[in-house]
Amino acid sequence: MLTIDSLKAFGADTDDALARCMGNEAFYFKLIGKVLDDKNFEVLEQAIHAKDLDKAFEAAHALKGVLGNLSLTPVYDPVNEMTELLRSRNDVDYTTYLKAIADKKAELTKLLE
Amino acid sequence: MKRSTEVFLDGKRHILIADDEFVNREMLENILCDKYDVLKAEDGLIAYDLIRKNRKTLSLILLDLMMPNLSGLELLDRLKEDPDTKNIPVIVLTSDQASEVESLRKGAADFIPKPYPQPDVIKARISRSIELAEDRQTISATERDDLTGLYTCEYFYRYVEQFDKYHPSTEMDAVCFDVNHFHILNERFGTAKVAEILQSIADCLASVFSSSDGVLCKMGEDTFLCYCHHRDDYPKILEKISSGCGIKMRAGIYASCDKNLDIQSRFVRAKIAADKISNAYSVFTSTFDETLLKEELFAEQLLEEFPKALEEKQFQVFFQPKYDIRGDKPVLSSAEALVRWFHPILGMISPDKFIPLFEGNGLIAQLDEYVWRRTAERIADWKERLGISVPVSVNLSRAEMYDSALVDTFEKITGDTGITPKDIYLEITESAYVSDSNQIVNRVSQLRDHGFFIEMDDFGSGYSSLNMISELPIDALKLDMLFIRNAFDKQNDTRMISIVIDIAEYLGVPVIAEGVETEGQYLALKKLGCAIIQGYYFSKPLPADEFEKLLRS
Repeated sequence: MLTIDSLKAFGADTDDALARCMGNEAFYFKLIGKVLDDKNFEVLEQAIHAKDLDKAFEAAHALKGVLGNLSLTPVYDPVNEMTELLRSRNDVDYTTYLKAIADKKAELTKLLE
Repeated sequence: MKRSTEVFLDGKRHILIADDEFVNREMLENILCDKYDVLKAEDGLIAYDLIRKNRKTLSLILLDLMMPNLSGLELLDRLKEDPDTKNIPVIVLTSDQASEVESLRKGAADFIPKPYPQPDVIKARISRSIELAEDRQTISATERDDLTGLYTCEYFYRYVEQFDKYHPSTEMDAVCFDVNHFHILNERFGTAKVAEILQSIADCLASVFSSSDGVLCKMGEDTFLCYCHHRDDYPKILEKISSGCGIKMRAGIYASCDKNLDIQSRFVRAKIAADKISNAYSVFTSTFDETLLKEELFAEQLLEEFPKALEEKQFQVFFQPKYDIRGDKPVLSSAEALVRWFHPILGMISPDKFIPLFEGNGLIAQLDEYVWRRTAERIADWKERLGISVPVSVNLSRAEMYDSALVDTFEKITGDTGITPKDIYLEITESAYVSDSNQIVNRVSQLRDHGFFIEMDDFGSGYSSLNMISELPIDALKLDMLFIRNAFDKQNDTRMISIVIDIAEYLGVPVIAEGVETEGQYLALKKLGCAIIQGYYFSKPLPADEFEKLLRS
């Protein structure tokens, strides 16, 4: 069961995000549920593996916007770093970023159960 | 303007959110749905379709830059190229600064960063952008005259102000172009044709004054104002208009205007100059100078003070004697009542300063009736106290001849003062007969039927046709003063006078000559057969008490 406290403990800046949701907790939780289903996580991973950096950038950039708006800082931070690297199409090893993202996303998914 | 009314049909303005991320769309909708009706699109193509469909009612577009199918920047380009959509404000949603600048360059109204700022900030930016866009639409709807496409007055003054700000030391002219006898134009050609003429005048002016040369506006029905670099080819410009549009215009020019004056005052001066020649047939340009302004201000002052002057009896009636010269000795036979204005500060004001002014705006009727009544009172007083009956003539203005109550007015005056119609003579200027002869002739006949004695004044100045004269109901012909002046001034040619005297003889009425100043003139007129003489040779116009002394002697 998702709560503000559990999100805070997770590291989300819930005050910030709730303000964007006009103080509506249920709405906030609903949007978090939606972001976990965002296909861009998958697209990002596949594009990195396929070395399609353009596509990877688009996906990372899109995720960055959404995660930022929901203030899901622990997931946002690695996505943000990846986005900046991908912006200049840096061909580096993104595995650690992908792992960090996947871990934090799993942690968040768990909070929903 | 059209758009706003449609927007308000259901009370809320419409906003489109175009973003491929569900969360972002939902979040914005949740923030905005209280105040706006929100449409949503998840990619660029869908957004474009929705915008086209709702182009008349959309107040704002919130646009994500990175979207599938059609990117935000591409969509922005399409919108700005299309006249139907280019005025809808677009706020770009973006997380990188490089795109912010680019989108502003492409015509975005503003941007909102991601992650989104506080909802209040978002709402304020949206509402501000809508406001600016609507203001701009209102401005473009009111800034130009519908008919000619020139600026309207209000905006014209603002642009002139701006022009001055950036060109403080440039020598500028304020010019007022007016169509000559515009009201007659409407009658002659009809309003549709006149509208066409006004359009072509505007086009012609716009071709002469390019936007770097000057600012143009249309004011009122037929006035065009121009603020331009100083030049002196205005007669040529008027010729160009005249040949291009088949219309005569006049220009009042306030050349190298004083920039310390506010803008309206500069154009008031140009207008004064233009009005000065509104009745001239062969003069088309008039340049403002300070004397014009002084005359205008003086006229304004007189108009303003007229009611008080009438109430305080600042107007006095003077009497200029008329002498019958048919016998051996000239005999005082009558007089003409002439008004003088004794202003408490300005002293005596000459009638030629205020009579034409009052004739122009109808105040003359009040003044004339005042003079008629004062005159009748004097006549009655002399009759009663001195037992002397001397008829005095009063002047009637052309406009008064149209007054259907005119006969009643005179009947009332004679009735109130106890004099008879035979005691008061009426001087009616010849030009009044000519302007609308039937109506005037009927009115004069009416007055005559009631026993009033009619003198046709200024005879020879109004171009009566000989044909018409024979039918006129008159009791005396009074020669225009210019006749006397011309006859005796240079060539000493009195033939015209003798012709007029012949006409008078034919009509069986006496001739009165006014403006007689010398003994030579008097003797010549007597010899020619003139019956009555008025002028400085015998006496200047006298105050009532001095005229009374003359009566007694």
